Amino acid sequence: MNAIPAAPGAARFEAPDDFDAINRIYRERRWGDGLPIVPPTVERVERMLAQTRRARGDLVARIAPGYGAASVEHIAVNAVLAGCDPEYLPLLIAATEAVADPRFNLQAIQATTNPVAAWIIVNGPAAQRLDINSTFNCLGQGAWANATVGRALRLILQNIGGALPGEMDRATQGQPGKFTFCCAENEAENPWQPLHVERGFAADCSTVTVVGAEGTMNMNTHSKDAEELLRVIAETMMHPPSNEYCHSGEPWLILGPEHAEILSGGGFTKGEVKQRLWQLSKMPAQRMSVKDLLRVKESRTEELGEILPDTLLPIALRPEDIQIIVAGGPGTHSVYVPSFGNTYAVTREVEFQA
Amino acid sequence: MAGTVTLFDPTAPGRVESAQTSRSMSGLAGGVVGFIDNAKPNFNHLVDDLAELLMSRYGVVRVIKRRKKAASVPAPEPMLREIADECDLVITGSGD
Repeated sequence: MNAIPAAPGAARFEAPDDFDAINRIYRERRWGDGLPIVPPTVERVERMLAQTRRARGDLVARIAPGYGAASVEHIAVNAVLAGCDPEYLPLLIAATEAVADPRFNLQAIQATTNPVAAWIIVNGPAAQRLDINSTFNCLGQGAWANATVGRALRLILQNIGGALPGEMDRATQGQPGKFTFCCAENEAENPWQPLHVERGFAADCSTVTVVGAEGTMNMNTHSKDAEELLRVIAETMMHPPSNEYCHSGEPWLILGPEHAEILSGGGFTKGEVKQRLWQLSKMPAQRMSVKDLLRVKESRTEELGEILPDTLLPIALRPEDIQIIVAGGPGTHSVYVPSFGNTYAVTREVEFQA
Repeated sequence: MAGTVTLFDPTAPGRVESAQTSRSMSGLAGGVVGFIDNAKPNFNHLVDDLAELLMSRYGVVRVIKRRKKAASVPAPEPMLREIADECDLVITGSGD
């Protein structure tokens, strides 16, 4: 068995035992996200650490762009700051490992001018066990786990990775999802395989999947026809100033249960939905600006050959790169989540203590 | 007056690496300079102008220009190896 590398523990300091004074200190030192933090006292951090079998000094990952060493203890400290229940810690350890996988391309995601948030999708029994919302308003407010787990990952990226806004985080506008972005898949209403099973994990295994997500675009359609539904979804995905068409990417769709049922009822497997969307969303290269088309040529000539104005650009290298989950409550809504382009989602198993 | 409480600093020290170049340079004359273009618009024009200046004014004998596919991906290994083997000084593009 390989030895797990050790990381230095988190530094401690003495502060006045006063909520407002403590928040002033974290604010002045830029250790927060703009919202009040929960003071990471020794007691709170110990309660958090009691929820993992891993040693507090284990190095989980190095976090770009500063390559700070994320020990289990550092992750626990940031989880306390975000207001997490101690039981959420194993999710955050897995998510921290996942964002550091080279396929996720964290260095670029953290430092870019693009508005990239790290979206966490939870699958398997953990969703129910930790009460992670997958239905009504699953990307909105109101669920403690969704709100605090997503917030904790942002604090880990900022505090351990060193990506402070305006400094190493160069986002032009950013986006609200950079505060928190976490939901579970609505597996009960998914007519196909859930995401983690599609990605090679057992159905009874709990996983987190991290996605470099650029936003959420509502698709409100009352269509009851599968072919028509696919057409309007594909047309939403097509937009010229897109990182996906520029670099070929991994676009994400959150299908509402009603839309998923229409597609499944229309005889489509998830793979067939991806195949159809990949075909329908091909975009003529000339729809892009001249400057952007130059970037497409740099980035995709190897993949597509010579790119002419009437070349049809696929949104992704392969149909299977279009990613689909089912989430949300009743309603005629699905969501298109454009990705950063040069990033691939990473899934990790969550290791609970028992 | 409130007492004190022990709290944790949520930041972590970054990677500390000694920044030492493999070869030291006393000047540019007789040297080979490499550029890694990050594929942002107009960087190639800047590189062309700098290359001309480096050769005409500073005695650089050769300039090697290579371009990445995009700013958001690392330069491929073979490109890094080639440019490290050939050059005395490498200038990389970053950002816009």
